[in-house]
Amino acid sequence: MTNVENSVVRFENVGMRYGAGPEVLRDVTFTLPPASFHFLTGPSGAGKSSLLRLMYLANRPSRGVVSIFGKDVTQISRRALPALRRNIGVVFQDFRLLEHQSVFDNVALPLRVAGGNEEQIRKHVSELLRWVGLEKSIENLPSTLSGGEKQRVAIARAVIGRPRLLLADEPTGNVDDAIAMRLLYLFEELNRMGTSVVIATHNETLISRFEHRQLHLDQGGIEYRQNGAGSRDAASA
Amino acid sequence: MLLQRSDLPLSDDPAVRILPWIVGLMVYLATLTLAVALLVSTLTANWSAGLTGTVTIHIAVINDESEAVMNRRVEEAIRLSLKTPGIDAARAIPSDEVAALLAPWLGDEAPIADLPLPRIVDVTLTPDSTVDVAGLSARLKAEIPGAGLDDHQLWRDKLVDFLLAIQVVAVLMVVLIGATTVTVVIFATRSGLAVHNEVIDVLHLIGARDEYVAHQFQANALKLGLKGGFAGSIGGLLTLIVIRYTASELDIELFPTHLFQIWHWPVLASVPIIAASIVRFSARHTVLRALRRMP
Repeated sequence: MTNVENSVVRFENVGMRYGAGPEVLRDVTFTLPPASFHFLTGPSGAGKSSLLRLMYLANRPSRGVVSIFGKDVTQISRRALPALRRNIGVVFQDFRLLEHQSVFDNVALPLRVAGGNEEQIRKHVSELLRWVGLEKSIENLPSTLSGGEKQRVAIARAVIGRPRLLLADEPTGNVDDAIAMRLLYLFEELNRMGTSVVIATHNETLISRFEHRQLHLDQGGIEYRQNGAGSRDAASA
Repeated sequence: MLLQRSDLPLSDDPAVRILPWIVGLMVYLATLTLAVALLVSTLTANWSAGLTGTVTIHIAVINDESEAVMNRRVEEAIRLSLKTPGIDAARAIPSDEVAALLAPWLGDEAPIADLPLPRIVDVTLTPDSTVDVAGLSARLKAEIPGAGLDDHQLWRDKLVDFLLAIQVVAVLMVVLIGATTVTVVIFATRSGLAVHNEVIDVLHLIGARDEYVAHQFQANALKLGLKGGFAGSIGGLLTLIVIRYTASELDIELFPTHLFQIWHWPVLASVPIIAASIVRFSARHTVLRALRRMP
């Protein structure tokens, strides 16, 4: 179904455990092609966050193969990870904004880390903050923002570097439906520009409004689901 | 580099805030200790040069010999000395000079002139030459009854050993001060790493290299190191000036700061820069070491 060589993400019999604890992911196998859009669903404790952590390279698997942009992350050195991570945008469930930095500096961070030109950074960040409706909060600290505003800052930070892969953990959890839809349209826009998107969510209403496929996790295993038709595919492509 | 913005709020850390004070104190102590080492070094060289530049011939009085016989023996000693290669001059110290040297110990009323005092010949060696002191001593003993030679070797060796010991202790103290500073920086940096673990994790996940994070710690450490270092250095130099002034007021050679040579001052002035560099390197090394253990 998917060309493995060109895949953005490929998991092959992946198992993961934290320390000496039980496996939270078992024999997970799937492939995400370029410019794909998936919802990652499953009950609480199914391992959605662990799966995302493996995809944004916060952890390495206990077993199996995880390949990101065609590179086996179980084999590459630590020094090679930053270059891969710069192509991955992450919206954390708890935002993880730098509380001592302004909204502008938080959003500019990925570009600065990558050594971007300050003038260009100013232009792009201002433009994006205007797009997500935070142009008036540009100099504010995150502590002065509402939950929804923080979430938009987190999303802006995740997408500012035009990542090839965007991962979002419950990105619409703190916003009303109108803003949630607007954020999803932003993700779709990025997806149309070639970014592969994976959104972990519990929001069934939101999922039902889009015809994207689901990666459904349950008891550590994974299966594909097609939205709307209610069909289920085998997870391994 | 020092004015660059930082992604980590390091200046708010209690452990980091105390760093300039620690570095300042260490630089203060290092400056004083190094000053002592430099002074002792100059003192050693001066004393060593002064003593090795001369030897003394003493000619004892034999029975009730006449002044003329004694003078002949003195002249013979001078002649023998001047024939020895490497000897620049030889001068008989007049008896009244010898008496004047003894007066403070024997008192003004002592009949010094009646004492059978030995005659002294002050022999000056040619600078940078090698003199066969043992050969001269043997010839003096063989040819002139009652003559002997004192090259001050024993006393000089003991003095030089003592001064060298002081220098070694001073250098060890400077090393210990450096090691203490490094230890404090390592603990402060580790504390900073623990406090900012969350931010560092975020920086990593958005693609920051270890060097990017380390740069923030080292830049902050350098800034604080220079701040504390220069304060400590100024304090140390002011203390030296006060000691020198006080010593000169008391007319004592307690701390002979006049022995400072011109090159000593840049050496002392470089202490805060070296300290700040050590602080910077220690912070960088600590951060890189810790980050290597992260996934």
